[in-house]
Amino acid sequence: MSEKKLVIALAGNANVGKSVIFNYLTGLHQHIGNWPGKTVEKAEGTLHFKGYRIDIIDLPGIYSLSTYSIEESISRRYIAVEKPDAVINVVDASILERNLFFTLQLMELETPMVIALNQIDVAKKKGIEIDVEKLSEILGVPVIPTVAIKGIGIFKLLDKAVEVAGKKTRPKKVEYGEDFENAIRKIEESFIDYDLPYPRRYVAIKILERDKEIEEEVIQKNPGIISIAKEVGKKLEEKYGHSCPTLITSERYRIAGCIAREVQKIISPPRPTLAEKLHEVTTHKVLGYLVMGIILLSMFFFVFAFGNLLSETLSNLLYGLKPFLTFILETGFLGELFWGGIVEGLIAGATIALPYVIPFYIALYILEDSGYVSRVAFLMDNAMHKMGLHGKAFIPLILGYGCNVPACLGCRIMETQRERLIAAFATTLIPCAARTVIILGLVGRFIGIQWALVLYVFNLIIIFLLGRLAFKALPGEPTGLIMEMPDYRLPHLKTVLKQTWFRLAEFLKIALPLIIVATFTVKLFEEAGLLEAVNTVLSPVTVRWLGLPEAVGVSLIFGVLRKELALIMLANLLGTTDFSYVLTPIQMVVFTIVSMFYIPCIATIATCVKEFGWKKSFFLTVFEILFALALGGIVFRVLSILVNLF
Amino acid sequence: MSIEEPGKKEVPLTNLKDGESGIVVSVKSGYGRAWGLKKRLMDMGITPGTKITVVKTAPFHGPLEVIVRGYRLAIGRGMAEKIFVKVERVE
Ligand SMILES: Nc1nc2c(ncn2[C@@H]2O[C@H](COP(=O)(O)OP(=O)(O)OP(=O)(O)O)[C@@H](O)[C@H]2O)c(=O)[nH]1
Ligand SMILES: [Mg+2]
Repeated sequence: MSEKKLVIALAGNANVGKSVIFNYLTGLHQHIGNWPGKTVEKAEGTLHFKGYRIDIIDLPGIYSLSTYSIEESISRRYIAVEKPDAVINVVDASILERNLFFTLQLMELETPMVIALNQIDVAKKKGIEIDVEKLSEILGVPVIPTVAIKGIGIFKLLDKAVEVAGKKTRPKKVEYGEDFENAIRKIEESFIDYDLPYPRRYVAIKILERDKEIEEEVIQKNPGIISIAKEVGKKLEEKYGHSCPTLITSERYRIAGCIAREVQKIISPPRPTLAEKLHEVTTHKVLGYLVMGIILLSMFFFVFAFGNLLSETLSNLLYGLKPFLTFILETGFLGELFWGGIVEGLIAGATIALPYVIPFYIALYILEDSGYVSRVAFLMDNAMHKMGLHGKAFIPLILGYGCNVPACLGCRIMETQRERLIAAFATTLIPCAARTVIILGLVGRFIGIQWALVLYVFNLIIIFLLGRLAFKALPGEPTGLIMEMPDYRLPHLKTVLKQTWFRLAEFLKIALPLIIVATFTVKLFEEAGLLEAVNTVLSPVTVRWLGLPEAVGVSLIFGVLRKELALIMLANLLGTTDFSYVLTPIQMVVFTIVSMFYIPCIATIATCVKEFGWKKSFFLTVFEILFALALGGIVFRVLSILVNLF
Repeated sequence: MSIEEPGKKEVPLTNLKDGESGIVVSVKSGYGRAWGLKKRLMDMGITPGTKITVVKTAPFHGPLEVIVRGYRLAIGRGMAEKIFVKVERVE
């Protein structure tokens, strides 16, 4: 017997917990954190339940079913055009009114739906109590209270969703005020041979709202309707003194407000909680910036200290095993190849990269899940305007410290293509976890932690200056910031560890094999004498201009694959992981600066191509290579002069 | 002592002091992209007749933090200048 198939989509406002539910149901790893706008593209997963094969779709969070942003377009197209069998509308119980505004729009699509009244634990803490049955009765939609991070209510939710999908239960009709109902009815009645793939009422409301996409679809089939809608709309506008889109939005909010007031009881008067006090301090005019500095510094030191400790422990352990391993493995050519390829690669990967990656991701995810990220965006709004962006652009920059790939995708939270491009450009220059490995593992470890810090600051200054240049090259008025700042919450430890683990697994799956293959290739090239040739060809740049050892040429090429490879291969080529024997401090700094800027790695380039096309990505890549080389050479000369002076 | 009639004045949101509230009268906008932003503001709950409270303003012409419909929203200054509110104020 073949399984029956169902498609169930998760939809709702940003930051309500859709991805938590998605991950819980599918076992996949959608990005979770406490700030709005993480999911920017739809994701799919499967599960088997009660004889069904269910495709679960995670959609970007949106506040309205319009098409003014990419997320809105993606989500609306999926729900309205591709039509899942059921929609799970995830609702943040602690912000009921605004969430219901979206629910009302979903209901107009008449797709079978269930409401997940999520975060009831948060609502309870805020003193909000919701009459679930009454809400369900008013909307004609099953309402299931859930606490997604604990998995509470999710089973029941799925069960209900399958049930409404099977029965094709439609939600109730939402009644607008009388004048609006008359207007809508008039438009509905004017349709002849209605054959659009949406409910008639939905289309009537949308053209009254002057929704461009729906208008176009209607014009193709029923051109007369638009003028009728205009006429009807005009009467409403004259009576109420606002434009129709404004009126309909207000009307929906009025209804959402009525329902919210009817079903929720605010029990305890809100008093300043710890979360609110934290918010006060972290967004304070003066203290806010101070706290930001302290937080970033402590994060930095934590990663470095923890990373060093781990690195040494792992080194000792693995190099302790080395004689044992060499003893087992036969020597000779194959043994050499094997030893050089696999074991050295593994050791280098495990001792150079892993130690910094682990604490780094833990720190980053704690920061994200606490809710601090949106506060930083608030504080940095001003500075970002200097680059023709606004505060939200700082979020992809922060994510960039983790990995540039999701960060570049994350640039979609910016409103215009121009802003997305500038933000992505700045993001590719942010030292990601892989580059952190180089900065901390080389400069931090062998010169001094303060110099690593200097490099980070230097990097930010350069990004700021280049961002300004990009703004000059792509002028335009920056759009303004509109961003929800969700309440602080205690980071959910399990989520933090899970996401870190997932990152780590990804690293082990992708980076380690790559390191091994790369090491292997280098050994082969070395045997064939090709290494010399490549390095010699590159030496005018690497040796003459940058003042680095010849081996750097090949290692920088490998760095294109993954940035940490640049350092790992260097260790390999120079035959030691103790760089203090083979590089001078100036060389370390120059090498690090070049690695920091010289090219977004191949995965990032691919993402840029996807987001911005070949031409822009090519230009960006070439620019960054030339810029990094120029900068590296200048830094080399300046530092050499300074060292001679003092 | 003479107190002027407590008048209801229509002012941009940026005129409010920290902690002050007003009732939204309108959100001004142009066409094209600006219209999209106005729509976004309204979708987030800033519709005519809504109570809005300015919690604080970031320094150096920075963004505003407001509370609207029970949640916290950050609005850039340029946007906030387009939101007109009525305040009850004793001058
Ligand atoms: N306390 C509590 N926190 C929750 C609950 N559900 C989700 N969260 C937290 O809410 C935040 C947002 O969850 P996500 O699943 O990432 O939200 P989303 O709806 O996918 O958000 P976007 O992708 O940005 O639209 C995370 O910090 C979660 O840990 C819940 O039931 N209780
Ligand atoms: Mg999500």
